[in-house]
Amino acid sequence: MRETWVVGAAANRFGKMKESSREAATRVSMEAIRQAGLEPKDIGYTFAANCFGISEHQGHIGPLINNGLGIPHVPSVTVESACSSSSAALHEAFVHVAGGFTDAALVVGVEKLSHLDTLTATSYFAIAADYPFETKNGATFPGLYATLASAYREAFSTTPEMLGSVAIKNHANAARNPHAHFQKEISMETYLASPIIASPLRLYDCCPFSDGAAAVVVAAKEFVKSPVTEPLVVRASARAGSVTDMQDRPDLLGLPATRFAAEKAFRQAHLEPKDIDFLEVHDCFTIAEVLALEDLGFFPKGTGAKEESEGVTARDGKLPVNSSGGLKAKGHPVSATGASQVVEIFEQMNGLAKGREVPRAETALAHNVGATGGSCSVHIFSRR
Amino acid sequence: MKGYEEGGKLRGFRCTHCGLITATWGLACSRCGHPELVEAELTTKGKVVAFTILTVPSEDFLNDAPYAYVVVELDGGGRVTGWMPSVRAENQIRIGDRVHYVAGYKPGVQFEKDAAVGSP
Repeated sequence: MRETWVVGAAANRFGKMKESSREAATRVSMEAIRQAGLEPKDIGYTFAANCFGISEHQGHIGPLINNGLGIPHVPSVTVESACSSSSAALHEAFVHVAGGFTDAALVVGVEKLSHLDTLTATSYFAIAADYPFETKNGATFPGLYATLASAYREAFSTTPEMLGSVAIKNHANAARNPHAHFQKEISMETYLASPIIASPLRLYDCCPFSDGAAAVVVAAKEFVKSPVTEPLVVRASARAGSVTDMQDRPDLLGLPATRFAAEKAFRQAHLEPKDIDFLEVHDCFTIAEVLALEDLGFFPKGTGAKEESEGVTARDGKLPVNSSGGLKAKGHPVSATGASQVVEIFEQMNGLAKGREVPRAETALAHNVGATGGSCSVHIFSRR
Repeated sequence: MKGYEEGGKLRGFRCTHCGLITATWGLACSRCGHPELVEAELTTKGKVVAFTILTVPSEDFLNDAPYAYVVVELDGGGRVTGWMPSVRAENQIRIGDRVHYVAGYKPGVQFEKDAAVGSP
């Protein structure tokens, strides 16, 4: 395997895009390529992600992006893995570059849902659940994660304030991130006063529907030679799956796919959780961040919510989590989310995260979940 | 694809190797990988192992909110998910509550609480 680097990473402002997915994706791709000191012609393969392109009457977005970049002859493929689509695309890019099949690859994820009303968007999201066995019985995505939250609350007696602390932390981080959908802090009073969406989850436990685009350029060390940015060395690129349906899981206190992917990733990287300086994790709901930190091995099962409420995961805490604001507050443009986690890590390691710097940025982990854990990606990056 | 509800009964599968009982369709066992599942009728009574009260529903349940969405462990083995139109608030349900399946008025597995002895 060849040593593989992330040499460029760019995202737009999440929230509401005026332009189409195709335009936004092409724009952030060009930005990431230029930032890497490369030209579009250096790209050997494009891995695109755009789950809900159908809402814009558009499929097959890869060739359109390549056309817009002036490289129509370059192969492309669209990768779908629900909310983990662009981290799955990153994994494919890694496999191609590390395996020697191409020297440089573009990973780009984009989503636009703001032209839909909330009900239609909720229904689009629910497509990634198991239709006959979950959705048809009344489930929504907040509902499925709320079910996990209820099982967790029963087992470990969590309080609303514990989950609230996750939302408050992530909003505080997003307030300092120019890419973020919500650039405002919230108080515990605001959190507690927000309406219940799916008990015990309140409005402020839930990530928003966001538009957004993010791109990452992956290249072989030997191809780049003299990088113009501080590259991220890909120390691990691991994926795993788990039983899709809640009803078939032995317990509801975590996501098995996260545990499996984390084990693989730490083994690949020859690292342990204690070696990680900061993380971007999949916090589509506050409970998801708690479960992720436990499943990844950072906190013993049942202690995550308490640790979070005590400030351990704050930006200046012992283990900064979601310095970007996370899905919760930076926003969750489904197919752009995984790539945008890498953008945050790239910006932190390149001194570009002005005003939201983590104390130490040598080694970082990105965790991205598809749906309720049917799929999961874990990447580990470090500086050279 | 058919759901697991049919003719007022809950249908699923049993693994001939490890004995897993599941409602979810498949050709092989999701627990042990054994490629032989036989059809099995599931029992219809059980207890709630997790729940939520949904106030913002999906499109198919637009006129039904609020309602409970539940994961139920069936007495005869296996778990299913379902919804409970008669449960509309957190204080009306607890983990461990006894429930039973009822043929609902719309597609989707529907549960009702068992009448508790001494309940108001």
